[in-house]
Amino acid sequence: MNAVQSGLVVQALLALAAVATGLLLPIAWRSRVTGALCALLGVAGIVTGAAALGGTTGALTIPLALPIDPLVLSPDRLGGLFMIVVSAVGALVSLFGIGSARGAEASRTSWAAMAVFLCGMQLVPAATDVVSFLLLWEIMTLGSTVLLLADHATRSTVFSAAIWYSAMSQLSFFFVLAGFGVLVAATGGTGFQTLATVPADSLPANLAFVLLLLGFGGKAELVPLHVWVPRVLPEAPSHVAAAMSGAMVKIGVYGALLVCVRLLPSGPPWWGVLILVLGGVSAVYGILQASVASDLKVLLAYSTTENMGLVFLGLGASVLLRSYHATAAADAALVAALLLMVSHAAFKTTLFLGAGAVHHATGELNLDRLGGLGKRMPWTAGTFGLASLGAASLPITSGFVAEWMLLQSLIHGARLDGEVVSVAASIAMPLAVAVLALTAGLALLTFVKAYGIAFLARPRSRKASIAREVPWVMRVPLVLGALAVVGLGLVPGPLAAGIAAVVGPGIVPDVHTVGLAGVSFAGIDAVLDPSTLVILAGLVLVPILVIVALGARRHPTRVDPLPWAGGGSRLRPRMQYTATSYAEPLVRVFDDVLRPSRDVEVTHVGESRYLVEKVHVEQTVSDVIETRLYRPVLNAAQRFGLVARRAQDGSIHRYLGYSFAALLIVLIAVSL
Amino acid sequence: MFETTYPQLIGLCTGTLLLTSALMVWRHSMLASIRLLAVQGFALAALVAVIGVQKGEVEVILVAVLVLLVKGLGLPWVLAHESKATTRTDEAPRLNPTASLLTVALLTILAYVVSSRVLARDTSISAHAAPIGLAMVLIGFLLLVTRRQARSQLIGFLVLDNGIATVAFLTSGGVPLVLELGISLDVLLVVMILYVFAGRMHNKFGNTDIDQLRKLHD
Repeated sequence: MNAVQSGLVVQALLALAAVATGLLLPIAWRSRVTGALCALLGVAGIVTGAAALGGTTGALTIPLALPIDPLVLSPDRLGGLFMIVVSAVGALVSLFGIGSARGAEASRTSWAAMAVFLCGMQLVPAATDVVSFLLLWEIMTLGSTVLLLADHATRSTVFSAAIWYSAMSQLSFFFVLAGFGVLVAATGGTGFQTLATVPADSLPANLAFVLLLLGFGGKAELVPLHVWVPRVLPEAPSHVAAAMSGAMVKIGVYGALLVCVRLLPSGPPWWGVLILVLGGVSAVYGILQASVASDLKVLLAYSTTENMGLVFLGLGASVLLRSYHATAAADAALVAALLLMVSHAAFKTTLFLGAGAVHHATGELNLDRLGGLGKRMPWTAGTFGLASLGAASLPITSGFVAEWMLLQSLIHGARLDGEVVSVAASIAMPLAVAVLALTAGLALLTFVKAYGIAFLARPRSRKASIAREVPWVMRVPLVLGALAVVGLGLVPGPLAAGIAAVVGPGIVPDVHTVGLAGVSFAGIDAVLDPSTLVILAGLVLVPILVIVALGARRHPTRVDPLPWAGGGSRLRPRMQYTATSYAEPLVRVFDDVLRPSRDVEVTHVGESRYLVEKVHVEQTVSDVIETRLYRPVLNAAQRFGLVARRAQDGSIHRYLGYSFAALLIVLIAVSL
Repeated sequence: MFETTYPQLIGLCTGTLLLTSALMVWRHSMLASIRLLAVQGFALAALVAVIGVQKGEVEVILVAVLVLLVKGLGLPWVLAHESKATTRTDEAPRLNPTASLLTVALLTILAYVVSSRVLARDTSISAHAAPIGLAMVLIGFLLLVTRRQARSQLIGFLVLDNGIATVAFLTSGGVPLVLELGISLDVLLVVMILYVFAGRMHNKFGNTDIDQLRKLHD
């Protein structure tokens, strides 16, 4: 039994042990022991994934009583990468959960479901056939649904979130099932290797591609299947939301990669265009909604849609360029997409855990009621700040490296050795660059808002003013997450080389490590070496800072109390920018897309038209896609349900009559 | 001698079965239905006995005795006993007698049409009579659908069960004793449980009209 096989067995055993301790132990020990076991489960996943990434192959065969092929779990390099990412996130959120889970979140059901959820999620990338893939996929979905329902007794909104989540998950599952079904029917086997034999230009391949893309896109929160995200993630317990956003959506990305790289590697150009459009729309729409959201978790949830949109943008560019044989640029785009996926796992987990810490300390997630947490929660503020840098793709973080590479591959992608690749690529690539640029700008704005409003300035509510730093067991995962964000940002070389090996021999031969730990793509003349940049910047900045500091000591600052400070001498928290007012200009610019509803209520003093007693302003931004696309469908379904209810009125005679009619119809059909 | 009367005896028994079923649709009185059910039980037992004699198997004769005891005597007695214990409300079915009898005729024709397809290859005399069993199943179902009272529906259920038994006896030439014992006990048990339920309903609501059970759906 080699490392991969024993790793898979150990994961299953640890998950079983965690389920057992979660169900059996009393409340005093449950969170600690089960949380630790879940974290160990994550570590086991990391080790197994690393072994698989290193090229070790090992299969775990589970025979079934059913007359189908046995389930075979055998992660390849790509699966190994995803297993590492997902397991690392799982380990961090389990640690965090030990400290943050309280009340119903720490119930027997919740902890058992946590272990099931994490185990299912970690093993999905190991599946090598359709049946085990779908089985583990459903285990993951069911586990997360149970976790989501933890707080159902105290908040009524949890139910509606759970229904949305279940419905959308089943929709995704239906698409995936149908897509695989088409491939299985066309090739006659359930193993992925058999499925890959379908010719790429045949009708089954095209049909399966569209279905699978929709299914996996739904899991990866792509527009228009993202509607569950802003409902579910804010309602889920913080560590669960971190696991869903940091890890579970990656399984959607894994599915898409499975389709585009493994099963149907040489598709026609329109596949790439379709992925590009889906990704681009998701990126822009997600970040627009995030930029105007005032609930911290809703903001992070929409930001996930944006990041996954960018990952699909890279994937789409890769598929499109590969169909025109621009291999170097296609590989670069694919590596960039994977880098973005990994870095998103790092920073989004940290951000969600940070939001969880804020919620733990203040009980608030509405940015308009937070503020001034930087002084009160320095660890949370520091780590959240670093992760925000990552989410805004600023230097020294992994987000910057990933988006820079994506940008490079998109810019250089349209030309191959100075020649135009194709008309479609030369239209699509500049548009993709524009989307990326717009998204990056809005992301910067969004995370300046998220960090600035929540952690800087003065507290906007009493709860925020009495906040205390969270216990160390919650700080450790935050620090580890932030270290990952910065580490991957400063030393991207090894990761990029590893990813290049992941997508397989024959693909991506041209990634090299340069400088201290930088990356270069031979095919597209792009070189990035952040460590050297940081050292250079340090060399330039340190003398300047020293001179400035010396200068400041020579001229001590004068403090002149102003006689009339323009109202500034008696600052009150209400005078500060809020999240809503900060985003107001943006809402006005994108008024047509966001369609906010504003309600301004002015109360006058007595009979006066000019003296105002108070002004009440309310602004809600609803999800346009939900109200325009889903609401009509739901209304139609409801009307149909009411009509159908008449046929189902509870009369036993009527039901007997239905049976009788059915029997007669069958008999008549037989006799015809 | 027996060879010549055998088809006539089969015809007589099955004819009695169909006639009693049709009469049950026509009559609304509970007691009349129970008497007809008893007659039907006797006819079924006679049918099994005829098949048994023709085949010369003692086991089938024993099955006939069992059928006689359960369907000819046991069930009607239970039904009559329970009915006397409570009030005797007559049935007001959802379909008037003329329409019901026309429907019975149509159902019988349908049964023959269907059976001619299904049993086309089997040319034995007993198989020739099998459509009667199917017709009884359909008539039993019709009773279930059209009767309002829970107890009359029970009659319909028993007719349906008799129909199934008839088809089984005619097409397979008698079933093993153990099997028939199991089936009979099952039916007896179901009838008793349903009767207890109907009694409870009567105590609770004052009648056993199942239209009043509408609110049980979600």
